[in-house]
Amino acid sequence: MTESDDAATLGEARIEAAYGSGDGDDDTSATVARPMQGKIFEQIYRPWNGPLGPRWVRNYAIYRHHVYGIISSTGHRRYHPFVRLLLLVVILGSMTPILMLLLSTMVSDDATGFLNRMWGVNRYNLWGNVLGYFPRNLCMWPLLTALVVGGLVSDDRRNGTSAIYFSRPVSRLDYAAMKWLSAASVLAIVILLTYMMYYSAAVVFKGEGWSFIADTIPIFIGGLLAGIFLVFTYTSIGIALSSISTSRFTASISFLGYILGSKLVAWLIEIQFDTTYVYMVSPYDCLAHVGQWLVGLPYNYDHPLALSAISLAAMNAASLAVFASRVASLEVTRE
Amino acid sequence: MTKTPAVTLDHVSKWYGQVIGINDVSIAIDGGVTGILGMNGAGKSTLFKLLMGRIRPSKGSVRLFGTNPWDSTAPYRRIGYVSESERMYDWMTSIDFVSTLARLHGMTRSEAEFRAEQALSFVDLGDVLNKEIGKYSKGMRQRVKIAAALVHDPDLLILDEPLHGCDPLARTSIMNVIREMGSRGKTVLLSSHILEEIERITEQIVILHAGRLVALGNLHAIRAMLDKHPHRIMIHCEDARALASSFIDKQPVYGVRFLDNERLEIMTKDLSEAHSILPALILESGVPIHSIENPDDNLESLLGYLVGDSR
Repeated sequence: MTESDDAATLGEARIEAAYGSGDGDDDTSATVARPMQGKIFEQIYRPWNGPLGPRWVRNYAIYRHHVYGIISSTGHRRYHPFVRLLLLVVILGSMTPILMLLLSTMVSDDATGFLNRMWGVNRYNLWGNVLGYFPRNLCMWPLLTALVVGGLVSDDRRNGTSAIYFSRPVSRLDYAAMKWLSAASVLAIVILLTYMMYYSAAVVFKGEGWSFIADTIPIFIGGLLAGIFLVFTYTSIGIALSSISTSRFTASISFLGYILGSKLVAWLIEIQFDTTYVYMVSPYDCLAHVGQWLVGLPYNYDHPLALSAISLAAMNAASLAVFASRVASLEVTRE
Repeated sequence: MTKTPAVTLDHVSKWYGQVIGINDVSIAIDGGVTGILGMNGAGKSTLFKLLMGRIRPSKGSVRLFGTNPWDSTAPYRRIGYVSESERMYDWMTSIDFVSTLARLHGMTRSEAEFRAEQALSFVDLGDVLNKEIGKYSKGMRQRVKIAAALVHDPDLLILDEPLHGCDPLARTSIMNVIREMGSRGKTVLLSSHILEEIERITEQIVILHAGRLVALGNLHAIRAMLDKHPHRIMIHCEDARALASSFIDKQPVYGVRFLDNERLEIMTKDLSEAHSILPALILESGVPIHSIENPDDNLESLLGYLVGDSR
């Protein structure tokens, strides 16, 4: 047995192999990298003498950062691919009436027929395009809002990235307004743009004339106003919940819970006690009630319209107050 | 007409409930590099938060270019700020990140990209500007922050612990940037709790301790004011007693102490004079020397003297 075999038995050889250095006393030399000569790097500062844009240019930068992020995250806010995919699904879903309108036009010319009543332009369909409960206000719009708005402020709160804005000439009002506006824009593109496309498609597909437009434009504008109220309200509530949370999941779930939960509770109370007053706590039902008035439909609710309108105004005011208050304390409370 | 200083603090105090963050601080700073020195909890971060309008002073007034930063964001058009804790968008490339922030200053898209590239090259990140920030080292991230602060060519640069956690190469780069900005007449404020760091960049310092301003001015002048206190020179040699015999009768040495047979501590009231005679005396004694240190040449010692003075 050789000496090295003995060492292996004792385990010493393995240790030496691992560190490759023996006991360190037999060789005092070291191998070092050959030093480079000259400058490590060159630093040349170039001053900037160009003009800096006014407030609206800075605000537009915040706005586009958030809105363009839906399309491309390169240089913009990052939205999860799932959110983008869902946005696509919601947009396509909200455009299905256009497809059905086209099919109904191709199948039947009867202006009073079932297909035309089902998919053509009328009070019910214009109202339903924005405020119909299923699938729009049960599945599509609340989910869309939750995913788009949920992380808008909560991400900044969690990561401290709001400081990026407040270290620059961006006021808290600008920050809050642009966050709100960017979220509302995304919702408006999906909800209002598809609504307008539906109406325009009806005119084009059916070859309607000015008399049709003159007849239906007030209803269309009523539906558009209802849609604007919906976008405003959902954005305000969503962003308020996002601003009080440091988790986009919590903010999103809270929003869905509030919109769908309040509706469910009010419905259960209605069937149990035969009263619609509790619908006043449901943002959707307040919007639906006001929307029915705007489009000229009979009401589904027994309580006065004024109460729904007041409730809607109060919800928006409270949401914006919460949002403003939380933005005012952003970074200030991080001391 | 006198020029408005970049930074003015007039009898500023800030309390967090019962805790004092800043206590009656008055300073005016304009031009050049100024180091804000202080131990942890001295009030450096509170001072910077006051300057950046993150908190409102409990008493006194803060002005940046003559404007209250709490009331208006206008001064921030002329300020570049590097926070110690500020997070970045890690998924962005540095060029995207810096150009996005440039746009927050009102630049157009093309201007922002052009300037971002220049600023990143200035901090030696020109080769990696298309790499995601999340893949950067700590030193590179710090340099991205500095590039973002410089992108709009600010008149005032506020840097909160800019060298914290950086490797030597990043430190060298950042120090060069700071010195360059100071030499261009910009006002640069940087905080640190390490005296040696600040000394390598500037001699103009502000020392805070427990929220109070304990010293302001040239570092060497401050040290000179403390000459009634002893300065120590620690020498590690082969024969401490033999070496001590060479020093003991020489001015400005007024005392020696033996820590052991190989370590000698010399007490003097004029550090620079002592260092000027030291080489000749060591050569004359013929005692081999391992090291010479100045144990008082750090912030802790300086603070000890300054706080002791103010008692």
